[in-house]
Amino acid sequence: MTIVIGALQYLGYVLIFPGFLFCFLAGMLLCGIDRKLVAKMQKRVGPPVLQPFYDFFKLCGKETIVPAAAERITFMLAPLVGLAALVVIQLFIPVFGFTAFSGMADIIVILYLLLIPALAIILGGAASGSPYAGVGLSREMVTIISCELPLVLVLLAVAKTVGDEMGTGLCFSLSSIAQYQMLNGSLITKISMVPAAVALLLIIPGETGNHPFDAAEAETEICEGMLAEYSGAPLGVFKLSHAVKMLTLTSLFVALFLGGLGTGILPLDVLLMFLLCAVITAVAISFVHAVTARLRIEQIFKYYWTVVSALALISLVLAWYGL
Amino acid sequence: MFKKLIEESTGKSPWLFHINAGSCNGCDIELVSVLTPRYDAERLGFKLAGSPRHADIVVVTGPVTKQSLPRVLRAISQVPEPRCIVTMGSCPQSGNVFRGSYSVAGPLSKYVHVDVDVAGCAPKPEAVIDGLALAAQILKEKRGQMK
Repeated sequence: MTIVIGALQYLGYVLIFPGFLFCFLAGMLLCGIDRKLVAKMQKRVGPPVLQPFYDFFKLCGKETIVPAAAERITFMLAPLVGLAALVVIQLFIPVFGFTAFSGMADIIVILYLLLIPALAIILGGAASGSPYAGVGLSREMVTIISCELPLVLVLLAVAKTVGDEMGTGLCFSLSSIAQYQMLNGSLITKISMVPAAVALLLIIPGETGNHPFDAAEAETEICEGMLAEYSGAPLGVFKLSHAVKMLTLTSLFVALFLGGLGTGILPLDVLLMFLLCAVITAVAISFVHAVTARLRIEQIFKYYWTVVSALALISLVLAWYGL
Repeated sequence: MFKKLIEESTGKSPWLFHINAGSCNGCDIELVSVLTPRYDAERLGFKLAGSPRHADIVVVTGPVTKQSLPRVLRAISQVPEPRCIVTMGSCPQSGNVFRGSYSVAGPLSKYVHVDVDVAGCAPKPEAVIDGLALAAQILKEKRGQMK
């Protein structure tokens, strides 16, 4: 009996609360808020906040064309694999006190899982047999490599700070980090963590492929790169993955740097986290989108491996000296 | 219910693909002006798509020259159903001042079914938005008739 209840609970986790349904609603809403905010910053009226939902359902109702040159199975399955990986990440990210799955080293699992959506879009693009996708996927690979180094440094800095306080060396467990912040206040209040937080804010638009780091999906230049041949429902799933990725990365930021006591009531906690995610989206994605133009791919690489990595490194050094 | 939802959404999220079929660039600039902060067609859900496979509405400008005709037809056939075709400016409708030229194969309606014509040389942004909104309505009806 208990096994059945436990299994049902896990099924609920995967399908409803931190899983598919929550990711779908919260991610799309976040995407809509982002589009509205960018419009407001450019003095436009902007699309309705529900616009990403309209886009998704419209794409579900469109004809799906598979190009003659495409590898059919990979082409159709790639979007689903990417979405599934993102939903799994969301299961690991704590909402203040609550975590669906927790483990010893879930930060490392998240680091690997974050690669899968990008890999899925690369595989899908490569399988579509389009030259635009070829250009797009080579740029996407460079973008991933650019973001990876500073992201690892940021996570190491956080792990070192929390691990020192807990007396376990390096702490790679997100639920321990959440517990530490419940006891000692948010990590962003520590001076050594401020550069790392800024670095993560700069990594967010790169990881999600938003302006100005969207050289891989430059629609005015290479027809949205890897998505050039996609149409109908698979394209909709890719757009959904992009929205969920925004939710995943902003909620990772909230879990790492803005954690705390919360309210103790789960629905209120979720609402609070969503509001914090919306604020992070406004700062890291919408504002940056509104004030910058697209960078070239080698500029993206240089920017991440110098400025952002240096910020993360400063944080790591400060954390090592226990500041 | 799901079908109703898709039908409603189709009318609210029309993505545009723009084909220049030998246009003088006047209409092309006017089309882009529709997306600027002053007219902001994005409030109705309009968005310029990079690839014809993402598009719902194809906007054709220019008198359809003999060189561009096969490319125009090929690009239109890449757009997944349901789709709408809008001609912008007088050229694709009648040939305008290029009518009778040896190099012009238009009007476009000889080759494909055209849903909306926006006349003018070049049409005002208000007229373009009006035509596109009409095309979005037609798109919704077309989706309703599918399956």
